[in-house]
Amino acid sequence: MAWIPGTPIRLETENYILRSLTPADATEAYIAWWNDAEVQKSLGFPPRGWTKDQAVTHISKFDNRGRFHLGIFPKGQDEPIGFFSIIREAGSRVVTNVVIGNKDYWGKAVVREVRPVCLDFIFDEMRVEKVVGKVNSDNYPSIFNYKALKYKTEGVLRHHAKDLDGNWIDEVQFGLLRDEWFEIRKDLK
Amino acid sequence: MGAASELNLKARELLAEALQLDVSEVPEDAAIGVTDRWDSLAHMRLIMALEAHLGKPVDTDAMVAIEDISGIVDILKTA
Repeated sequence: MAWIPGTPIRLETENYILRSLTPADATEAYIAWWNDAEVQKSLGFPPRGWTKDQAVTHISKFDNRGRFHLGIFPKGQDEPIGFFSIIREAGSRVVTNVVIGNKDYWGKAVVREVRPVCLDFIFDEMRVEKVVGKVNSDNYPSIFNYKALKYKTEGVLRHHAKDLDGNWIDEVQFGLLRDEWFEIRKDLK
Repeated sequence: MGAASELNLKARELLAEALQLDVSEVPEDAAIGVTDRWDSLAHMRLIMALEAHLGKPVDTDAMVAIEDISGIVDILKTA
């Protein structure tokens, strides 16, 4: 069934269900990701120090029209292990970011499994022309995941931000066009 | 051993360390998206090993360009 803008979405992979999070999903585990130094480092932030109210406010900003906040749930489990966010930046461009908050799933190829189904939704249902990923140059695992799916490196923004130690770091922008994804997904294992 | 061969061997050694394999087990065509053991954590180990070997951070453009052994060799040439 075609997606109806404004309604929650549900995507499925071999091992995971991704669905739109609601304020009820602002659990202790979810809040803990925002307050964990290691997890937040991947986003280039220090721990946020969020309360439940702040987590609920954050989730409520996603309208399932141009902004999606999808929890990543291992099949058979009620607790998400991370989230995949999709945000329409301009008419036909989307930026995404993914966080695996549950460290037991680090190195388990979760992003490589879930990103393709999200890209299918973005290009097939949202019908955008381009997906963008922006990552700090010291986020090597994230850079790997973009390259593994054959995103193009569009540019390196030099000394674009400071890391948590106050040192200048670069930001790398990756991009993937609609026609490029249609070709890439033909060859996915 | 010529310089090019030495660089290729060093690249394979660093990649082997990152993939947690013996050098002899690293395929000649090892590449991101091709070699299963070359996952996100292995990639992180590779970059960190390169920086330790060079004694300095890897240039971002060169780091992002790594897709296979030749990308590692290109970085080693800058040492």
